[in-house]
Amino acid sequence: MNAPSYWNCISGTHDVILLPERKKETFAEELTSGGDRLVTVPPLSSQLSPNDMLWRLYSALQQCRNLLEHAIGREEGVGNDRNRTEYESQKKTVRDRLGHLLESTRLLLADGAGTAAFTPDPNNTEIDGPVNGSPFALKLWIYRIFNELEHWTLAASKTLKALHPDGAAPKERRTRGRARGRRTRR
Amino acid sequence: CRQGSAVVSRLAPPQQVRLDADKETQTLSVTWEDGHASTFDVEILRTELMEMVLNETVGVTEDQSTGKHQWNWTSPVPLECTSLSVKVRSRDGQDVSEWSSQQILPGLDLPDNTDSQMYPEGKTVPVGSNMTFCCIVEEGQQFGSLWYKDTLVKENMLSRRTYATTMTNQGPSNPSGTNVVCSNEKKMIIAGAVVFVGYPPLPSDLVCETHDLISVDCQWSKGRDTYLFGMTRQTYYTLNGRNCPKARNSNMRCGLEQWDGNWTLVARNLLGEFRLTDAAELGHRVRPVAPVNLTTPEVYSWNASVGWLWKDKVKSLNGCLSGHQTYTGYGLNTVVLKDLQPDEKYSVKVRCGSQKNFWKWGEWSLPLSFQTKMDRPVAPDIWLWMDSDNLGRVLWKPLTKSESHGQISGYEVILWSPEENSQQTLTLPRSVYSLPINVTDRGSKVTVTARNPAGVSLPANIVIPRYLPDAEDTAISKVAFNGSGFPLSWVAHANASCGYVVDWYNTSCTQDCNVEWIKVAADNTNTMVQSGNFLAGVRYKFSLYACSSESTVLLERWHGYMQELVPSRTVPRLSPNQEGADVQLTWDQIPLEHQRGFILGYTVYLTNASHLTLLANITDPQLTNHTVRNLVLGSYKFTVKAYTAAGEDGGATVSISLEPYTYWLIMEILVALGTMTCLLIVITIAFTGFSFSIFTILWKTMPGTGLICVCFQGTLDVKPSPHSMVHIVEDSVWDSSKEALVTVPEEDEEGTGDEAADTDEPASLRYYNQVVEEGSSSQRRPHASDSSASSTGSMDSGHTDVTYTGIQTSACYRPQMQSASCPEEPQTGPEEHLQPPVGSFGGYQPQCSWKQDSPEADGDGLDQTCLGSPTSVTSSQFLLPYDTSEEGKEYPSSASTWFHNLLTGKP
Repeated sequence: MNAPSYWNCISGTHDVILLPERKKETFAEELTSGGDRLVTVPPLSSQLSPNDMLWRLYSALQQCRNLLEHAIGREEGVGNDRNRTEYESQKKTVRDRLGHLLESTRLLLADGAGTAAFTPDPNNTEIDGPVNGSPFALKLWIYRIFNELEHWTLAASKTLKALHPDGAAPKERRTRGRARGRRTRR
Repeated sequence: CRQGSAVVSRLAPPQQVRLDADKETQTLSVTWEDGHASTFDVEILRTELMEMVLNETVGVTEDQSTGKHQWNWTSPVPLECTSLSVKVRSRDGQDVSEWSSQQILPGLDLPDNTDSQMYPEGKTVPVGSNMTFCCIVEEGQQFGSLWYKDTLVKENMLSRRTYATTMTNQGPSNPSGTNVVCSNEKKMIIAGAVVFVGYPPLPSDLVCETHDLISVDCQWSKGRDTYLFGMTRQTYYTLNGRNCPKARNSNMRCGLEQWDGNWTLVARNLLGEFRLTDAAELGHRVRPVAPVNLTTPEVYSWNASVGWLWKDKVKSLNGCLSGHQTYTGYGLNTVVLKDLQPDEKYSVKVRCGSQKNFWKWGEWSLPLSFQTKMDRPVAPDIWLWMDSDNLGRVLWKPLTKSESHGQISGYEVILWSPEENSQQTLTLPRSVYSLPINVTDRGSKVTVTARNPAGVSLPANIVIPRYLPDAEDTAISKVAFNGSGFPLSWVAHANASCGYVVDWYNTSCTQDCNVEWIKVAADNTNTMVQSGNFLAGVRYKFSLYACSSESTVLLERWHGYMQELVPSRTVPRLSPNQEGADVQLTWDQIPLEHQRGFILGYTVYLTNASHLTLLANITDPQLTNHTVRNLVLGSYKFTVKAYTAAGEDGGATVSISLEPYTYWLIMEILVALGTMTCLLIVITIAFTGFSFSIFTILWKTMPGTGLICVCFQGTLDVKPSPHSMVHIVEDSVWDSSKEALVTVPEEDEEGTGDEAADTDEPASLRYYNQVVEEGSSSQRRPHASDSSASSTGSMDSGHTDVTYTGIQTSACYRPQMQSASCPEEPQTGPEEHLQPPVGSFGGYQPQCSWKQDSPEADGDGLDQTCLGSPTSVTSSQFLLPYDTSEEGKEYPSSASTWFHNLLTGKP
């Protein structure tokens, strides 16, 4: 749960795997973090059409990216690692890979980014992080963001692999014919 | 707990008791009025469980301005953890007042504050601190456990919802702080806190200097790690009150625009601050900036000038360093670089320091590259190598870069002939470093010059010696390599006016040898010969010459190896030579190129399977033979190894079987007899009619066998036949101690003759064992007056003694008409025979000595008519049949029977 460890990612094109290093934070393994989900997207199910599934993934990843930017903006509150250069490099890698995953998912969508994605519940005050300035609350919040990021990137990776068993990333959007806004928010 | 007196106190209880909490510092401030005392009892309880926290008598004076008493108490437990009840009473000795009304400092575990919480949160404390953390469990949840880092710690219950733990002597935190976590019974994190444990700053070594004589640049060491990071916890520095925002991580420096002379650095973090001071005069702390705009206005072959510019006031400084040379001067901005090499690329950079009150060298300037001009080369180092009296080679060494002073374009060789007063000039390309010359004009001079674009070198001269000493006449001694070279020393020579020359080459080289040489000054009588071309296992010959203006004189010679190795091949032409019971081994010396070390000697082994038994160690390397004595019959393998200081070679092996062989000898005899028979038939036919008288004469002359004269064409190589072998065995009838010949099946005889030298194959059987000593030849064995005895004896060829130690193939074999007498008890062989004779079989009788059978034979010139015969090398005895049983039989019948038996194979 150390801030720099959030960016220790190993990623293929569709395999973004974030490696939590809880031991760096000397955080008991058997403990779990509570709290509601920070990413609010209806659950994935096998009943969904591929496009609907992709759409939910895309929405979740977008929320993850927003949360990530929030976390980066507030990470100073929990201290910095001494190796600033390596830390920044890891951070950039996570950002880039998440962006690549988002773009890959978007290209697979039938109507691209034309339809509004799912957005978090506006009543969810946890999106912006703790307001009391508690370092521990900030750590826990960033850790929860990390869990969301891990969950949704893995879900996206699996889904994209299932849709493209050959593992090739789509180069361009396959269908552009559908009108914008046709898909309504669910 | 002090109880109040039952007596009514004259002291009034404190009034207006008030509690103020500083939760950050966990300090509780208690104020009251109307105490009229200076000593008070204070009692603090945890409100909910009514546990005593403090009951203490304290001295508190009244604040005259406010008329209040104030007492501060620092709680070890965060004040948020649970509610505290405080009451105070006045004390005057044993007299105490009534307790004041109880005041409660509410904690955050009150029911209206339902959330889970943990305290203190985000606190920064020094390493070694003791801290108490408390967890307030959410209303309705059940406490589980407390964790410090990843360690489960023991908790104390402070209230219904509050649990606390105390950590002592805390160690430094990691960059994001130490986590203290509270979980519910489901091990879900319900609250937590972070504590940052570190050190206050402790910088050191503050030093301020100027680079431009105006501003100041201060540097210091960061010192001990504070373990505190982040915007709020990191260390901040100020220099003379001004912030140093760039002083972060390992870059501990801060600058000011003006020189103050005194500087104070303050390092500060949440745990404290540390001050460093420094003071100096401007002129004592000058570390100039780097010069700029380096130029080389003048560049020559051996020197160049370099100039530069200064920024601002620095130009007034003294002293600068350029490259690795130091130049000084007021406002120095140009120097001349000396001792450069022609046609060489240089890179120069400049830095400067204050000559007066030198402090530190300034920064280096950017480097400037330039190349010096070329100059004419130096004279080549030449040498004359005489391949023969009239054929020699002029050699010169390639010029190194520091000698050529530019690209060499070629060489010029001039052959001067003073007698003919002529000269011959040859121009050679730069890749040629030798010139063969035909020296017919002794005393002539050779001049070599090198040329490059800048000019021609000075000439290098050498005079062809008028007299070439025979190198073989000069003693040669060994010289050992000492790890770095061959150390040579000699006695000073009077004519070495221009020094000495030592040349060397591979001794094994016979043509176009690579000759190297060094020149030694005249006042030196020793040198160390070093070369990167020396190879291990190669013998080098070193020759020392005295050099004079007239000629060179060979003084001394050495040879040696950089590293001796074992010989690369075995001794050549190893061959055994049987001499009775002895075997003489002979071999040739290993060729020089294969010796790879000084041959120190030879070792001779008897080889038995893979086991080698040392027979002799020959320490004279010139001795190339060895006689193994007193061998019994049988097959032997001998291995001869040459050895150097590095060890022995692989060894040459030769085999020999000490078993006489008769098959071929018999065949030769048969052929001879057959030929003679044919000849007699022809003569008979030819002269039947008119030459009967001659035949009769001949018959009378050579009764019995007639003329038996055999010519052995070529070598009589008495090899074991493919089917039989002749063994020398003891003749038990004649003499049990004698050895006789017996025919046995042969085992293996592929190896023959010369081939046997280097192989393990059995050598050819070429020699017969010598059984009869020379002395016995004087004693004739009793025999019949004619040759019939021999003939008769030959019928029993199984009992024939052998007296040969060798067979001279070019000698005549002439059957003896009358056997020579041999001793009944011939001298035995060497006493130390290892094995007894195989047995008593028939064999050949030794012809103890040659005796002319008749004057006719001699007079008829039978020696001349005989073409050849196998002859004992040592005794010149002939093989003759030996009659062991009967004597005096008629010779013709005996001879014919014996001959017939031989042909039919009967014994």
